Amino acid sequence: MNLLHPGARVIDAATGQTMTPADVSTAASELEKEPGAVVFHPISTTISDIARYLAALRLGRPVVLLDPDGDNAHWAERFATDDVHPDLALLLTTSGSTGNPKLVRLSADAVLANAGQIADVLDITADDVAITTLPLFYSYGMSVLNSHLLRGATVILERTGIMQRDFWTAAVEHNVTSMAFVPYQYEMLRRLRFDPAKYPALRKLTQAGGRLRSDLISDFAQRMATVEGSFYVMYGQTEAAPRMATLPPARLEEKLGSVGLALPGAHFSLSPEGEVLYHGPNVMMGYADTAADLAKGDEQGGVLHTGDLGRIDDDGYLFITGRIKRMGKVFGVRINLDDVEKHFPVTAVAGEDKLNVFALGATDDEVRDLRTKISEWLGTHFSGVVVRSIESLPLLPNGKVDYRALESSL
Amino acid sequence: MSTLQKLREAFRTALDLPADAPVDDLQYQDNEKWDSLAHMSLIATLEDEFEVMIDTDDVINMSSFQEAIKILGKYGVDISE
Repeated sequence: MNLLHPGARVIDAATGQTMTPADVSTAASELEKEPGAVVFHPISTTISDIARYLAALRLGRPVVLLDPDGDNAHWAERFATDDVHPDLALLLTTSGSTGNPKLVRLSADAVLANAGQIADVLDITADDVAITTLPLFYSYGMSVLNSHLLRGATVILERTGIMQRDFWTAAVEHNVTSMAFVPYQYEMLRRLRFDPAKYPALRKLTQAGGRLRSDLISDFAQRMATVEGSFYVMYGQTEAAPRMATLPPARLEEKLGSVGLALPGAHFSLSPEGEVLYHGPNVMMGYADTAADLAKGDEQGGVLHTGDLGRIDDDGYLFITGRIKRMGKVFGVRINLDDVEKHFPVTAVAGEDKLNVFALGATDDEVRDLRTKISEWLGTHFSGVVVRSIESLPLLPNGKVDYRALESSL
Repeated sequence: MSTLQKLREAFRTALDLPADAPVDDLQYQDNEKWDSLAHMSLIATLEDEFEVMIDTDDVINMSSFQEAIKILGKYGVDISE
């Protein structure tokens, strides 16, 4: 697979260095000397690490993208093998709901298809300039890189992030046209009183990585409208390489709360239980729990069970209403944990036939009050609801709440 | 507690550092715990502790402990032993 359009450029904002074809060729010849089929690649936001990633894809060596700050020895212990399926190109980590973390198996066709779908709906051209805002081992960060490289655009590598001057200086100097953020970064941008007019080339903001509050969606859509730019709400999962839907900016206010339309060449359906099913060319081959799984072919047939509950309106717009796996039981009654979080200022997890909620910095009185109100709302006895005060929530590297850490703290 | 001690405490809390960790030479890029989330938390802590409202430019310029002393000085907070 070759993702790299000949016109694409990768520039390191701190050093001014530009990636050259020789960087990728050098990385490829180094890889050819390394034993084993699978490339375990802790990927930092640097030219050399991107060259190594592209070299692995070009050589058809399945590459596992890993957190460079993580403890990665166990991945190679579990998944090192010479027996890999010929379609397998890229492996991304996923937490899974229980037990060991596992890998998502993506084919070259799926990765290329998704990069092209994203480039189409975001209208990415050779004139676009993206800037890194997310780690590259995280599927959203990876997809920003892939979709821009595919269309001959420019990607600026920046490592300090949006809370530092260097990021914004680089955005101006390199005429950045497109930035990608997850919900907690939009909260930060609001705190920074983000003004797109300060970055004259900026035309596109994208959002994925979880639900953003509707008031912030409207807020940022309006900010971008003042510079004739666009705000894109998107929906995806690592299992779909990762994008599945985007909300066309022109319909954003009318369809507020929707994650948009399925990408070109794909569609959504609902299972009898209301689970959102995605049908498209970018669905994974399957998961891998062991090295032997890397030899397996496609197990999905282009269909992904998202684990999300949703509805599809008459125009085909998808609205996510909850998460199947985010269900708890209190005294045997199913409770949608997302609903609890929507109605009360808490973070909810299940366990021991009880609803366990965490309230940030709550006083003893507030804890008692919450327990009363939540149990009344559920119509259940208050002994089924446990409220704890917590100083701060554990977060995953992508900024989402680490529910598994919360569950294990019970 | 002196204002310098308060500032050191604020950094240790926001960056989740041990109580005796030296912080006077901290730089944003050199410390892996000082990421954008920790920075938000640090700014909120400083605003509470010193009762100031820090402007956007100062938020993104606060790239070291010593820079924080200078910036707080602009808001009339004298950081000293």
